[in-house]
Amino acid sequence: MNKIAGVLIIILALVIGILPQFTDCQSQGKELTLTTGKTVPMKCHWTAIAEIGMAVPLIAQGIMLFLSKRKETRLALSVTNIILGIFVVLFPTWLIGVCANNMMLCNNLMKPTLILCGALVIVIGLITFIMAYRKVESVA
Amino acid sequence: MNFTRLALRSITGNSFRSWVVVLCAMLVAGLALATSLILRGAENSLRLTIDRLGADIIVVPQGAETKVESALLMSTPASIWMPDNVVGEIASVPGVAVVSPQLYLSSLENASCCSVSSMFLVAYDPATDFTIEPWLEKKIGSRLSLGEAVGGMHVFVPLGEENIKIYGYLISLKANLEPTGTGLDQTMFFTFETARDIARLSPTLAVKPLEIPLNSISAALVRVTPGVDPHEVALEIFRKVSGVTPLESPNLFLSYRKQMTGLLHSNLIVLGITWGLSLVLIGLVFSMAANERRRELGVLRALGATRDFVLRSLLMEAGILALIGGGVGVVLTTFVVILFRTRIIQSLSLPFIFPSILSLLVQVVAGLALALLSVALAALVPAYRISYQDPANAMRE
Amino acid sequence: MIVLDNITKDYVLTKESIVKAVKGVSLEIQRGEFVVVTGRSGSGKTTILNLMAGLTRPTSGRVLLDGVDLWSLSDKKQSWLRSQKFSFVFQFPSLIPTLTVMENIVLPVIFNKDHWNSDAASQRAGELLKMVGLEEKRTVYPRQLSAGQQQRIVIARALMNHPEVILADEPTSDLDEQTEGEIVDLFTQIHREEHVTIVMVTHTSQLAAYGTRSITMAMGEIVN
Repeated sequence: MNKIAGVLIIILALVIGILPQFTDCQSQGKELTLTTGKTVPMKCHWTAIAEIGMAVPLIAQGIMLFLSKRKETRLALSVTNIILGIFVVLFPTWLIGVCANNMMLCNNLMKPTLILCGALVIVIGLITFIMAYRKVESVA
Repeated sequence: MNFTRLALRSITGNSFRSWVVVLCAMLVAGLALATSLILRGAENSLRLTIDRLGADIIVVPQGAETKVESALLMSTPASIWMPDNVVGEIASVPGVAVVSPQLYLSSLENASCCSVSSMFLVAYDPATDFTIEPWLEKKIGSRLSLGEAVGGMHVFVPLGEENIKIYGYLISLKANLEPTGTGLDQTMFFTFETARDIARLSPTLAVKPLEIPLNSISAALVRVTPGVDPHEVALEIFRKVSGVTPLESPNLFLSYRKQMTGLLHSNLIVLGITWGLSLVLIGLVFSMAANERRRELGVLRALGATRDFVLRSLLMEAGILALIGGGVGVVLTTFVVILFRTRIIQSLSLPFIFPSILSLLVQVVAGLALALLSVALAALVPAYRISYQDPANAMRE
Repeated sequence: MIVLDNITKDYVLTKESIVKAVKGVSLEIQRGEFVVVTGRSGSGKTTILNLMAGLTRPTSGRVLLDGVDLWSLSDKKQSWLRSQKFSFVFQFPSLIPTLTVMENIVLPVIFNKDHWNSDAASQRAGELLKMVGLEEKRTVYPRQLSAGQQQRIVIARALMNHPEVILADEPTSDLDEQTEGEIVDLFTQIHREEHVTIVMVTHTSQLAAYGTRSITMAMGEIVN
């Protein structure tokens, strides 16, 4: 079960890290033009960058969950997975955000995908936590 | 120790079988719910749009029916024109109570003079309008003045600005209409006076001027006299007024309805295939499990279990797995449809509005019931066979 | 108590091949007896046991339990009788693998709910576990026990509902000599202390000495 959870976390992490790079407005050739005439990326681009920062530790977490045999290690990994999952959801919704126009790809594809992946990471984290907690309790 | 606990232990002790059944139940429930949500959502949306339009008949230039439907449903800007004298002709048809002309316009695509791109714009005649103005009176207690507009749910003033710029013209957004799940949610409504003002100033303010053909309108909304059959009135309009097509409200969006029917049929086929395959797979898995557990079930019979007990115990295991799988399936599907509804609308080119809580609950229960029924059906034959087997035979090698 | 009246049992393998497992056997088991049925493999001794408990239907003849024809009863009544009057100790590991030792012992209670509440059941199970000397194993799973330990638990389960008859089908065939002796001693102790009728089937003729009566079967018939 933990091996399956580890693999799932890795797959989700890859989606979290890679998908935004192809669905933010920067990748669609859209940028914000300031009054000075300078162009800067829209905030969905910064969300995409931030999600790489979540994806990389999640991949490491997934690998460790796959390999770990100790229940206490799995407990700790589960907690950090849940926290990372929460941040995956927070970046596109609150911490940074995406474009407000719901016709844009970052709003109608990137954001919901990140929310879904983040939620799945949280759920997997909760399941592995409960399983590890019960094993630790029964041994005690 | 009780009946339920025995079933639960058996489930946790046979994880491969349990996972297969859970996944099948998830698939069946999820697919059924997705189909019903999307199609009911589209149907609700169409109905809301028709209600929003408020017209019994919409008269459009002949040949422009599809363009008008696309404009209203998917906010695909339409440029359609007919002479404005048709208004008088329509008004003279017996049974017509009110005729209100409208202009269909579009903002420029990615232009610096517009703060929105390719937005569908509808200009109405406040003197005759019977849809926007009454709503405005109720919502904000006043009518629209020059330079003011009301927008669908998804129309908003860009961040950091106070107005929406159309052809370089600053529009003040007074209110947002309730959602319909259609293109009307991305449509802006203002008066004829504002539209003409925009057109007048656009050559200097915009990168490309807004051109409104002289003495032309795009569509005329008709309300019939109470008690009169709108169909008869539509026929009269068709006979008496040349160059136009009257679209009766119930028949509006026929092409989308056809599309929905097509989508329903193909979804039902996919659902049917998935259901059939799931039944076979679950039946196989249960057969295998029942065979593996022959001895165990024979022992239960020896301990005093009736045939009925063994059958009920196996069906309960199936039921628990179905509920788990079905539950996860419906929750996941609901979540995905909520998150990705805009994407679904764009991909299917169909309108969509999320159903009421009650309607959602009914559909969720239906999805769960289908999962439960499927798993129970599939497990019934192997469960029946094993429960009616001679216990001594069951326990032989 | 148990009467087999001219019982036959045929197994139909194919249309042309019928195995006559039991041929016209008549047998009476009295209350309080410890009957040991011996014979070689294929002599029909296991089939006799299954016929006694109604686990298989006779091809002809009657099975009477306290004067009542077992096969005149409905499945529900038969199952009830099995839960009330009979208990089984099988040759193969018959503990439910997904239940703990304690849960296996109290399992018969499900079929006898009118007579048990969960506290009484737990108490009885605890006493039986102590009797078979495996108190410390209450929360483990069958796969964590040796074959001999599993059989002890099966015997404990067999006593859960205060049965009148224990039917044991080659209970020691998979065990080493020492463990075999311990198990048969346990049966003797149960016969003596619980006053339970025991019918034990075995291919080890030396075990016949443990019973109050011994029967030998060969080729589907009683020969001794």
